Amino acid sequence: MGNKQDIQYVVGKEKRLKDLISESELSPLLNSALKAGICNITLKDDTGNIIVEAKQEGFTSGLSCQYTLTVEGEPAGQLLITSDAEELKPLADLIYEALRSIINSNLKRVLTTEVHSSVVTQSYEELLETNRKLKESETRYRDLAENLDRKVQERTEELKKAYTRLIQQEKMASIGQLAAGLAHEINNPMGFIMSNLSTLQRYIERLREFINTQAEAIRKTSLTELISSIEEKRKVLKIDYLLQDSIELIRDSLEGSERVKKIVSDLKGFSHIDDAKISIIDINKEIDRTLNVLIHEIPDDAEIVKEYNDLPGFRCNPASICQAFLNIILNALQARQQGLKLKISTYYKDGMIHVIFSDNGPGIPEDIRERIFEPFFTTKEIGKGTGLGLTVVYDVITSYGGGIDIESKTGEGTTVKLTLPVKGDGDV
Amino acid sequence: MIEYDETEKRMVFKLVYYGPALSGKTTNLLRLHDILDTEGRGDLMVLDTKDDRTIFFDLLPFFLTTPSGWKLKIKVYTVPGQVKHDATRKAVLQRADGIAFIADSQLSEIRNNFQSFENLEKNLTFVGLDIATIPLVIQFNKRDLQKIIPEEDIERVWRPTGIPIFFASALKGWGVIETFQMLLDKTYDYIDKRYSLQDVHGLSKEEFIQRIVRKKAMDH
Ligand SMILES: Nc1ncnc2c1ncn2[C@@H]1O[C@H](COP(=O)(O)OP(=O)(O)OP(=O)(O)O)[C@@H](O)[C@H]1O
Ligand SMILES: Nc1nc2c(ncn2[C@@H]2O[C@H](COP(=O)(O)OP(=O)(O)O)[C@@H](O)[C@H]2O)c(=O)[nH]1
Ligand SMILES: [Mg+2]
Ligand SMILES: [Mg+2]
Repeated sequence: MGNKQDIQYVVGKEKRLKDLISESELSPLLNSALKAGICNITLKDDTGNIIVEAKQEGFTSGLSCQYTLTVEGEPAGQLLITSDAEELKPLADLIYEALRSIINSNLKRVLTTEVHSSVVTQSYEELLETNRKLKESETRYRDLAENLDRKVQERTEELKKAYTRLIQQEKMASIGQLAAGLAHEINNPMGFIMSNLSTLQRYIERLREFINTQAEAIRKTSLTELISSIEEKRKVLKIDYLLQDSIELIRDSLEGSERVKKIVSDLKGFSHIDDAKISIIDINKEIDRTLNVLIHEIPDDAEIVKEYNDLPGFRCNPASICQAFLNIILNALQARQQGLKLKISTYYKDGMIHVIFSDNGPGIPEDIRERIFEPFFTTKEIGKGTGLGLTVVYDVITSYGGGIDIESKTGEGTTVKLTLPVKGDGDV
Repeated sequence: MIEYDETEKRMVFKLVYYGPALSGKTTNLLRLHDILDTEGRGDLMVLDTKDDRTIFFDLLPFFLTTPSGWKLKIKVYTVPGQVKHDATRKAVLQRADGIAFIADSQLSEIRNNFQSFENLEKNLTFVGLDIATIPLVIQFNKRDLQKIIPEEDIERVWRPTGIPIFFASALKGWGVIETFQMLLDKTYDYIDKRYSLQDVHGLSKEEFIQRIVRKKAMDH
């Protein structure tokens, strides 16, 4: 069936009852119901599994009311309320109504938050505003929410995640724009430099031919004095060497220009950040592309060792993968200014592509290792790091069903190991 | 298709009402909700609107069980029409099994219809769907108003595309069921091809449509 990994977020995923209700949210309601005389409340999902249950001590039997709970209008579970008095029926109805309302507003909240954390379309402030409104509409059931604090915290967590993506997207967008702008600026002069160089190459060839013909012609005359003075001059001025070398110089320059052209096209490729097209890529090439983008950030004395092995094509959104590589490489570059050695190796084994980045930086201190994937966790000074780099790496890699493992020894270096599963063609 | 679950014997499909802002997508769903029987459908969920415009999406789910015992769920969504919500539109379009494009018949809206249709084409490609094969119907809504594009003009432009065209007034309630019914008709063929509704599940097209488009019995 559908290849889940290919899709980051689809509106419409099915929600089960237990995704929409939490015991902590319900316990105030259940407790007050028990206090009011209800003997037993049981909530089961559609397969009969108990989601929550609360009962009076010593309860054996009584009058039962049964209600069907629905999610998106479809039966999703049963609510069983038992009491020992007929008069409690209105109370049971009330509990059912409250529960229904909690489920519905949670469903709304989950759906809207999902749209936001996955599809960042609104500003953080608008997001807060929407959530505030959603909460207002829940006011009627406020008194149930003794554990409001916790819910707020959960919600803030969700918002924080959405915000993280927003910032990173903006960051990438501005890098992309800068890259696209640079690429354009460089492309123009590069165009005429290359075309001029080729013309120059042809001119020199012609000049050489002319000089040689001229020398030949003069040699055939009997003007010995002239001949020897010209040959003398030709030697002193190293004309033969000069002609030969000009040709080589131009060839080298043309080669250099080709390289610049390649970098520029890499930059352009890199700036295609919002074309989230899925395609099949060669991971080795993408790493090179990322390194090219970073070329001016890499110090001269840094040593980058590549140990690439042949890899099968990998199905992904190239921009997101480049983004992950970029963040890891940047971390290594920032970890050590002088004498950096970064080894990048790739290989394929048992359905997995392995990509390993190993640096000889200071390593990550043990006590912060647990936190490095947290959004906004950074040890870098303000303005230098946002603390989102590894968060994004984690998001990207796991979105392809892959794994990330970081090994680090203080004083020796850090190794980041990525594994990416290669799958057969999806049918999406 | 949103979900296909062998063990739970369940298939979930998605239909999307697309179109420019304020063309009447939500009103279409409201009408379906009013006209169709509660049996076999869920409630209309209108997700938080701000200034009366859809920010997220609306959802109206339908259910039925096939003779083979599988549960079919059809989730009908609207998309937010405003230009700035393109990302949400993409997420709603993902994995859609059929689309009703709701155009606004008013003369002043020609450009918006056009832009929105272009946006639909672009986003379909973006989410990997093929506009040539995905079930698609077009509804020109708000026919009850005065300054509207003449029917002949619409016919001339759209008939050659082969896409079924409907004229409607969602506000007054006519044309809405016809549009929906044709969408279901085309969608049935589309999913029957992949999941053999007829051969494997014993569900004919007539029955499929009948079970979803069940009009409310008028109470006297
Ligand atoms: N290769 C590395 N060597 C040493 N420490 C590292 C390395 N990679 C990450 N860290 C540590 O992990 C922290 C979190 O890394 P992360 O990439 O998430 O954020 P950042 O680099 O601080 O900021 P950003 O990448 O958003 O600019 C870093 O601040 C740093 O302390
Ligand atoms: N006159 C008229 N107004 C309509 C019709 N359908 C919708 N409207 C109005 O157009 C406005 C926008 O409708 P809505 O369904 O919210 O549009 P959406 O943005 O596409 O969901 C509302 O004020 C509706 O009452 C119709 O057929 N005729
Ligand atoms: Mg970093
Ligand atoms: Mg709407």
